[in-house]
Amino acid sequence: MNHPILMATLLLAPFVGFLINGLRYKRHSANLAGVIATTAVVISFISAILLVVDLVGLPPETRVISVKFFEWISVASLKINAGFVLDPVSAIMILVITGVGSLIHLFSIGYMHHDAGAAKYFAYLNLFLFNMLILVLGDSLPVMFVGWEGVGLCSYLLIGFWFTDDQKAAAGMKAFVTNRVGDAAFLLGMFILFLSFGTLTFSEINQLAPTDPTLAWMNPVTLGTLFLFIGATGKSAQIPLYVWLPDAMAGPTPVSALIHAATMVTAGVYMIVRLNPLFLAAPNTMMIIAIIGALTVLLGATIGMTQWDIKKVLAYSTVSQLGYMFLACGVGAFGAAMFHLMTHAFFKALMFLGSGSVIHAMHEEQDIRKMGGLKKYLPITHWTFFFGWVAIIGLPPFAGFFSKDEILAFAFFSPLGHEALWAVGALGATLTAFYMTRLMALTFWGKSRVPKDTHPHESPPTMSIPLIVLGVLSIVGGWIGIPHVIGAILPGHPENFLEHWLHHSIKPIPGLTPFDVTTEWVLMGVSVTLAICSAFVAYHMYVQAPQKPEKVAKAIGPVYKVIYNKYFVDEAYFAGIINPLVKASKGLWYYIDVNFIDKTTYVISDVVRGGGSLVRSLQNGNIQVYAMYISLGLVATLLFLLVR
Amino acid sequence: MLSTDLFTQIGLGHYLVLSALLFCCGMAGVLLRRNAIVLLMSIELMLNAVNVSFVAFSRYLGQQEGQIMVFFVMTIAAAEAAVGLALAVSIFKRFREVNIRYFEHLKG
Amino acid sequence: MTPDVFLFWFLALTTVLAALGVIISANPIYSVLSLVMTMVGVAAIFVTLGAYFLAGVQLIVYAGAVLVLFVMVLMLFDLKHEIHAFTRGPVTGAIKIAAVGLLGGMIVGAIALSANSLMKTENNGIQTVIEGDSTKALGKLLFSQYLFGFEALGVLLLVVAVGAVALARAKGGTHAQH
Repeated sequence: MNHPILMATLLLAPFVGFLINGLRYKRHSANLAGVIATTAVVISFISAILLVVDLVGLPPETRVISVKFFEWISVASLKINAGFVLDPVSAIMILVITGVGSLIHLFSIGYMHHDAGAAKYFAYLNLFLFNMLILVLGDSLPVMFVGWEGVGLCSYLLIGFWFTDDQKAAAGMKAFVTNRVGDAAFLLGMFILFLSFGTLTFSEINQLAPTDPTLAWMNPVTLGTLFLFIGATGKSAQIPLYVWLPDAMAGPTPVSALIHAATMVTAGVYMIVRLNPLFLAAPNTMMIIAIIGALTVLLGATIGMTQWDIKKVLAYSTVSQLGYMFLACGVGAFGAAMFHLMTHAFFKALMFLGSGSVIHAMHEEQDIRKMGGLKKYLPITHWTFFFGWVAIIGLPPFAGFFSKDEILAFAFFSPLGHEALWAVGALGATLTAFYMTRLMALTFWGKSRVPKDTHPHESPPTMSIPLIVLGVLSIVGGWIGIPHVIGAILPGHPENFLEHWLHHSIKPIPGLTPFDVTTEWVLMGVSVTLAICSAFVAYHMYVQAPQKPEKVAKAIGPVYKVIYNKYFVDEAYFAGIINPLVKASKGLWYYIDVNFIDKTTYVISDVVRGGGSLVRSLQNGNIQVYAMYISLGLVATLLFLLVR
Repeated sequence: MLSTDLFTQIGLGHYLVLSALLFCCGMAGVLLRRNAIVLLMSIELMLNAVNVSFVAFSRYLGQQEGQIMVFFVMTIAAAEAAVGLALAVSIFKRFREVNIRYFEHLKG
Repeated sequence: MTPDVFLFWFLALTTVLAALGVIISANPIYSVLSLVMTMVGVAAIFVTLGAYFLAGVQLIVYAGAVLVLFVMVLMLFDLKHEIHAFTRGPVTGAIKIAAVGLLGGMIVGAIALSANSLMKTENNGIQTVIEGDSTKALGKLLFSQYLFGFEALGVLLLVVAVGAVALARAKGGTHAQH
């Protein structure tokens, strides 16, 4: 079929859904709104599949479908089209977005059926998908930025969806403001790139990107990529701008699954992959990305180990997993980053939806201390969650194993990587296994700590079907990227399909030598063994000997306290940045605005008004006074004539 | 010499001065009186003052046109008096007084 | 002192005093009566200037018709008890009187200054003054050269008559409160 029409359908179907639900949100019942929204996304998903099928049909060298709808901005040398481009990278993204998006919409029908504002919720969700598709398909940075801001807006609207609760409204605000910081950097990066390259289109920037890496810091390439990366830290919740993501859990759980796990937060990773030749030309930036990613892995994982809120654990887990993706980008393994992005979208969306199902069953209870033993009440949720769990802790042959292992291998072997990065990654994997096992144990296994008046029940089919589909994807999702060492011993020698698929979109790392097979096996074995051991320790601590965790916490007292309080980052931000800013703004308001600008304008208006009232007294309607003016004028005229 | 001339030789200047004095009286009335009807009378006075000078000029310049003008002025003065009095009647009906300040309320 | 001169001074004095009476008397009725006196004086001055027809018209139209109208309206309203004859405001009052005084003084001054040129015109004019009955000439002029103006004035009078009646008859005056 015609590509522009398919592309338009892909983009506009969610938008139409948004309009239908958004304009009539008071009249649509929850179910009707849900069906409309889900249909819109499914239509989008079908067009995405058709487009990708067409894309597969093209020869690998020219595997790009680009559509230009109209000229958007044309100022001097700046020419920006409302153009969209589908290449192997964005193909993965649109399939994940619309596919996972459809499942989450379906799940939302069950999850939101009792909510009065369901139609509004679905409208926002559709608008989000529309913007996300613009973000991933846009053929230039400004078009991407439109989507980038749009998803930020929808994220804000959906986090603060239950805005009557002040805390939730504040969480939305926090997400929005934090993202603004990143967006400002994104804009600066865009300006720098435009200054040095004179274009903002991805393909042109990638062509113009210097082939020789520059080590200078004040180089436009280094600075531009650095600013873009800061933008990415805002959207993708990396140090130092990750603080909004845990608070974003205030939104409805399917939103957390869609926006804050599967799609929007990966936008930063996607942007870096999109511009990979440019980033490869700036090794300094790459180093910073890798270090930040590695630190975020550790930070998220450690905090995740101490949280009691089921969604907060998953949120910190997301921060940590996003750290892996940035680590991959930083060492040049863009393909691995995309791979992990995809598998993470599957298993993390699954786990968020699973937690949603649990929360739904527990009547809005999110504290895992009040759960336990839910396995027998929620069999489907438990088993799907179980597959998510094995995927995320990296047990072969589930999805997370392949992607995480590829990242770790690259961190070790890549000329941009370092053994320390691998060590941090492996440590992160160990911690991940620990906190995810802890979550599984406290929620589903062990003795029930459910309050007596709560009666957990399995969710309706609209909620369990997405869980099952995502569970299956969490099992098989990794098989498209089987590493060569494993492929070589498997029957039929399956190839690394993903690597082939992305081959022409991603620039190879300069100076990369083939991996040493023995070392790779060893590394793989070490990380898997560590993960399994740590999972067993966690199982032991939380199921077999429930009193132990408290002892451990006491033993490492201060450290535990610091981690439990999230390293006091929020407090530090308040003390160091927000409070001084608020004080300075208040000072500006009081001394500059009220006492200077306002007063000045008042004086001006008083003068004008006083002058007006003076003149007005001349025109008082008294006819005789008018006559007096006439006679005075007459006197003056005569005087003039006589004197002359 | 001039002093006796001024009183014994009546010329154009005398009539003009008389006209000016009458005019000033009328203007003072227009400016100072409250009663709208007295105001109208003062206006008549001013018009008459002008008439005097017209006739005087007509006489001393020997031209009939001045008298024609007086004729017109009189007619218009009569018309103006009629309209003015009608307005005064209206004002009186409303306020039971014909103070000139009530004309401030006329709008539109 | 010839009778002519005496007559002029007598008429001038009477007229000016009567004019002052118009603006000074607190009772509008006295004002009207003074005005009648002024009109008669002006008519007499017209006679001294040889404009006999105009003097007649002055008497008939002003003293006879217009002022009767004034008197009738005043009688109708019963407005004889005026307490405040003059508008209030000492400052504006002073300015007004000063303006009038200055104006009068300057006009007189101007006449005095141009006395010489006035003399000349007098001397030129005297020769062409029509000493006899000027009414016939006036009539000819009015019905030939100024016919259009004359007819227009007729129309104006008609319109004014109708308009005045309409205005005065309007229920509740111009400020009817609906």
